[in-house]
Amino acid sequence: MRTLLALASKDLLLLWRDRFGLFWVLAFPLLMALFFGAIFSGGSDSRAAMKIVAVDQAQSEASRHFLARLDSSDALTVVSAEIDSARTLVRQGKAVAYVIVAEGFGSLEQMFSGSEQSSLIVGIDPSRKAETGYLQGLLTEAWFSLVQAQFFNPSTARPRLDTLIASVTGDTAMQADQRNALTDFFGSMQTFLAEVDTGALADSSTGGARSATMGPRIKVEEVTRQTIHPHSSWEITFPQALMWALVGCAAAFAISIVTERTRGTLLRLRLAPLGRGQILAGKGLACFAFSVTVCAALLLFGILVFDVRVADPTLLVLAVVACGVCFVGLMMLISVLGKTEQAVGGAGWAILLVMSMTGGGMVPLMVMPKWLLTVSHISPVKWGILALEGAIWRGFSYGEMALPLGILTAIGIVAFTVGVMVFRKVHG
Amino acid sequence: MIKAETLTKRFGDLTAVDTVSFEIHRGETFGFLGPNGAGKSTTINMLAGVLQPDAGRVIVDGGGDPSQPAVRRRLGIAPQALAIYEELTGEENLIFFGRLYSLPRRRLRERVDWALEFVGLSGRRKDRVRTYSGGMQRRLNLACAVVHDPELLLLDEPTVGVDPQSRHLIFEKIEQLSAEGHTVLYTTHYMEEAQRLCDRVAIIDRGVILALDAVDNLIAEHGGESTVRATLSKTPAVSDELPGQMKGNILTVRTSDPLSVVARLTTSDLGITDLRVDRADLETVFLNLTGRSLRD
Repeated sequence: MRTLLALASKDLLLLWRDRFGLFWVLAFPLLMALFFGAIFSGGSDSRAAMKIVAVDQAQSEASRHFLARLDSSDALTVVSAEIDSARTLVRQGKAVAYVIVAEGFGSLEQMFSGSEQSSLIVGIDPSRKAETGYLQGLLTEAWFSLVQAQFFNPSTARPRLDTLIASVTGDTAMQADQRNALTDFFGSMQTFLAEVDTGALADSSTGGARSATMGPRIKVEEVTRQTIHPHSSWEITFPQALMWALVGCAAAFAISIVTERTRGTLLRLRLAPLGRGQILAGKGLACFAFSVTVCAALLLFGILVFDVRVADPTLLVLAVVACGVCFVGLMMLISVLGKTEQAVGGAGWAILLVMSMTGGGMVPLMVMPKWLLTVSHISPVKWGILALEGAIWRGFSYGEMALPLGILTAIGIVAFTVGVMVFRKVHG
Repeated sequence: MIKAETLTKRFGDLTAVDTVSFEIHRGETFGFLGPNGAGKSTTINMLAGVLQPDAGRVIVDGGGDPSQPAVRRRLGIAPQALAIYEELTGEENLIFFGRLYSLPRRRLRERVDWALEFVGLSGRRKDRVRTYSGGMQRRLNLACAVVHDPELLLLDEPTVGVDPQSRHLIFEKIEQLSAEGHTVLYTTHYMEEAQRLCDRVAIIDRGVILALDAVDNLIAEHGGESTVRATLSKTPAVSDELPGQMKGNILTVRTSDPLSVVARLTTSDLGITDLRVDRADLETVFLNLTGRSLRD
């Protein structure tokens, strides 16, 4: 093991001192992530309309007015659905929230009886704190609009007040002093509406009148969202960047094996009391260690700077390890494709570039045309990106992750074995 | 120390080494002299266990063949190509190769210091190898071969492309190693090197050992006669009694006993103004054995 570590640390030191090689392994993938991330997220500062699902359980004129008011807001896109569908849409992340307009919403009793029953129920993911506050503001605004329409328009308010006075007067269960107070209040409002200039009232309706009323009772339900869409473009471009880093590592270490051969150091290594397996294992260990380190560094950068959110850290570790295994195998296979650095470098990059292009290294898997998506099945890069995305934002279960992890590991083992066999054949 | 028995190696239709047999004794410096492509490096690679012979075998003292890691631990090699890492420092190269032989940390540190001192690179130990001159890189190549203190050193043309100063230093170091009891196999196509350093020399060409013996014996057996050339102050009237042939005022004598001829000439009254003895050497031996020069 000490010998293996000596071999690996020597390779890591050599790569570390090769600034040009480091650029392709570390800086280039990061630049790719930043470049494509910026392109895909273009105009992200302008907030898109928040999609909400409205569930109208009240089915009243007031509820329809309320929802129409919400729909007229530029900040919202409102679709209607039944409660179960609404919950599903929010859970799947296809809508930000649902708003249930409860039975009795907008009735005078609910507005003035002091009932604790909520008139509006909002279902939203608890992590969406900013959106929750924003939506509550919009709901309150629409509610006040409804109140204004109902009570500060004399033509519609007077009949409602008549109904309300009759209702309160006939309510024998209500205490007498409360009944008298409400009757006096509603009577005063009738007098006020009869004497006031309606034009002036409309003008003032956005000011003091509003502050004199109570807000809606909003209950917030937690609906945990199943993350099946990336939070941002960075969650697409950083897995791609990791693949480019792995491609760079594989190419760099494949060329380093040939360099050992052409410079004669491989001969000295073979003269040392080591098995050939140990020499290649040392090279593989160095490649694996460097690949994983670079992936970790890039991910950390993405998480800290671009708010890349990892849905399942354990699966992410497994994905990075499987990707590392896969590309160590490919490194070994590529190293025996030629006898010179130029031959191996050329062939290696050509193969790895095709893998990247067809596997989602340039065009994200989620926007690939169907035919390219079919072609991508043969590319290890596709399975690598799928595994990384599965852990970051696709919300893969362990069962769903088994396929890409298994394929990556299998490719790595087969490629490494074939590479070692060819190496042994070539080198006696 | 190490014995080769009918070693044969073919690469396709080419037989690079053809039934070569020899034995190197403990403490001996053994030379392999031959032109480029003679089969020297192929033989050395088979001795080191890197190349599997198509026929024959290699036996190292104490049993075992060099394909076994435990046996290779006793060998050190300086390959013809510079087998060192240019992006590492001289010290880092030695530490790395020393670690491959599982030297304990303290022992490794001692050996690295010793090896750097041995080849005169202590002052440049922290510099990257790519900043070294060709001669310094050759010396480091030698240091990497000895850092783990091997019993048998395989040196494959260790002075190729070096400046005279480094070459001289390498000679001195090999002589020092030999004096300390190390067994050395030295391959070269420079007959002066073989003649200076080696106790015994095997002359190899086209994969076959043509002759193997101590240098003096090889010369005596295959070198032919020496040539004595005397420049006379005047041409003698009668040259029939002279021991050699006259051409102008130069007398040339071919003899197997040059000392006697010189003694006879110097006591004569021929008026010798200049005297030169061209003794047979390994170049002559090779020429006589193959009909070609070592540098052909």
